[in-house]
Amino acid sequence: MYSDLNQRLKADVRLEEGLQACMNCGICTAICPAAEFYEYDPRSIAITVQSGNEEKIAALLQSDTIWYCGQCMSCKTRCPRNNCPGLIISVLRKLSQETGAFIKSRMGRQQYLIVKTIGANLLQFGYCVHPTSLVPATHPEQGPVWRWIYENMQEVYASVGANLDGDGPGALRKISDKDLDELHQIFEVSGGLKLYQTIEYFSQRKAIELGLTDPNGEADMEKYTQYLLNE
Amino acid sequence: MNNKHVAVIGGGIAGMEAASVLARQGLKVTLIEKQANTGGKLNDWDHLFPDFSSPDELVNSLANKTKDSGVNTVCNTEISRIERNGKRFELRANQDVRFFADAVLVASGFNVFDATIKEEYGYGLFGNVITSVDFEKRMKKHGQLHTIQGTAPKRVAIIHCVGSRDAKVGNTYCSKVCCITGIKQAIEISEMLPDCEVFCFYMDLRLYGSKFDSLYLQAQKRHKIQFIRGRLSEAAERADKSIQIKAEDTLQGRPLRMTVDMVILLVGMEPGVSTSQLIQKNQMTVDENGFLKSANMHCARNQSTQEGIFMTGTAICPMAVNETLENARSAATEIIHFFENRRP
Ligand SMILES: Cc1cc2nc3c(=O)[nH]c(=O)nc-3n(C[C@H](O)[C@H](O)[C@H](O)COP(=O)(O)OP(=O)(O)OC[C@H]3O[C@@H](n4cnc5c(N)ncnc54)[C@H](O)[C@@H]3O)c2cc1C
Ligand code: SF4
Ligand code: SF4
Ligand code: SF4
Repeated sequence: MYSDLNQRLKADVRLEEGLQACMNCGICTAICPAAEFYEYDPRSIAITVQSGNEEKIAALLQSDTIWYCGQCMSCKTRCPRNNCPGLIISVLRKLSQETGAFIKSRMGRQQYLIVKTIGANLLQFGYCVHPTSLVPATHPEQGPVWRWIYENMQEVYASVGANLDGDGPGALRKISDKDLDELHQIFEVSGGLKLYQTIEYFSQRKAIELGLTDPNGEADMEKYTQYLLNE
Repeated sequence: MNNKHVAVIGGGIAGMEAASVLARQGLKVTLIEKQANTGGKLNDWDHLFPDFSSPDELVNSLANKTKDSGVNTVCNTEISRIERNGKRFELRANQDVRFFADAVLVASGFNVFDATIKEEYGYGLFGNVITSVDFEKRMKKHGQLHTIQGTAPKRVAIIHCVGSRDAKVGNTYCSKVCCITGIKQAIEISEMLPDCEVFCFYMDLRLYGSKFDSLYLQAQKRHKIQFIRGRLSEAAERADKSIQIKAEDTLQGRPLRMTVDMVILLVGMEPGVSTSQLIQKNQMTVDENGFLKSANMHCARNQSTQEGIFMTGTAICPMAVNETLENARSAATEIIHFFENRRP
């Protein structure tokens, strides 16, 4: 599963852009908002990938570390060698998803939730986040104000000039079936859908490994979702 | 050879030393300097690493040597053009002044990196961010270091590699003398203000020269200068005019924030602007860093890619004073060989 990692990383054009040659200066870490809050150090990510050490790269793929980056790309603006650790992270994440290494870490396992929410929203509505998908029961963090907005959705959005689910132009307008179809095709051709499936596949295996199964011994993804939310 | 004439462009220490050596060999030498005085950058420096000697004394002794050896020194004259005329050269200055020569030595020196380009360091925006050049000038003029509030700084951060080894500003080379300049300035601050904490933020300490490493040892042992391995990411001014800096302590692997009273940026050396003007007008070429290109990196360091045009000093690449002087003497030797080997 974890073989030829170097080759697979290098096959991604983003690595060419993201890692020319790192001189270990630490400017990226000093500017990185994620490094300020987590055990996360973009400099050492660059150095590990540069070292080509398969074992260390495999460890990264299975770690929480690669999921801390917020993809803000501040590192790109400052690196004196024109590297971009944020892009290196993108490549590592994709490989972690493809190899299933992501199920080995708590942060990695959250990929499943993201596919099921943002991933599904994208294809269903054409929006990453759609108001109707933010059900107050599953989003208690949104608080009572959101609950009120949610319950009076049409009026509230109309009053701020949005065109919620309407035809024609405007914020939050309905994305036409033709455009959604096109989006679907893009995900199909670019491998996005396959990645969704891969993430689901490995997540199901993890659910089974955890004993989160239905009476037939199949993965119970409801239970798995609850497990992830409480993890 | 005695009737041959050499024109030296640039009256910094490189041009002065080469001119006096050539004149002592009996050549006719004209030393042309655009400023009012010879001496170049050294006129602005307060003390020289690694021995804290006086740049003024050095410049004076070089000026005496050029005078005694019979060099014709012409100041306030900037050469903008070198033209070949058969085996001779014609040099032109702005105001229709011309010089004729059988060989030309370009000793036009370097430019200091413009630190305002590195916007995130706040030079030109925050009063307590200064450069190593400002430090020398202030020390020379006032003999003291003050914050803009007029107080003595209690904490100073010295930042290495500003404008060098940085693809973002287009200079990927090392300026070579700034590490040791930083250590020298750190020691000077600590001697002047014993209670002041001084931090050097470096990526590699490049202390290549004789006695440089012992200065490093002295800085750590006697002056308790702290060396932190990490390059500055950004500086921000706080309400009280102190400066907050961000770097990573890469040996600890942790981001680091620190508030200091003053920041000194160790600015690098860049190819001289007037050198680039000279280049446009003739076929001298530059290397990948924009400095004058040698005919051969090893055995013809002072020969340009144009026959009869030589070069010396920091017009070739960053170098310290002693190397510049050695390089000037080697240029003089090459010019003498050039005349000796040339068929009349
Ligand atoms: C901040 C700083 C501190 C330093 N401190 C030290 C130190 O302590 N010890 C040490 O060993 N080294 C030190 N150095 C290095 C030292 O400054 C150089 O080695 C030295 O200045 C090189 O002399 P140069 O003659 O090659 O160039 P320059 O000093 O640049 O002189 C070049 C001269 O040429 C003139 N010129 C240029 N173009 C023309 C033209 N077209 N026509 C006429 N004239 C022209 C210029 O006006 C100038 O006078 C320091 C460097 C920096 C940046
Ligand atoms: S800023 Fe660039 S060179 Fe410096 S540690 Fe980060 S990736 Fe490496
Ligand atoms: S892109 Fe990621 S690694 Fe780069 S600065 Fe932003 S959070 Fe840090
Ligand atoms: S001499 Fe030191 S400070 Fe200057 S560019 Fe080289 S490494 Fe950086």
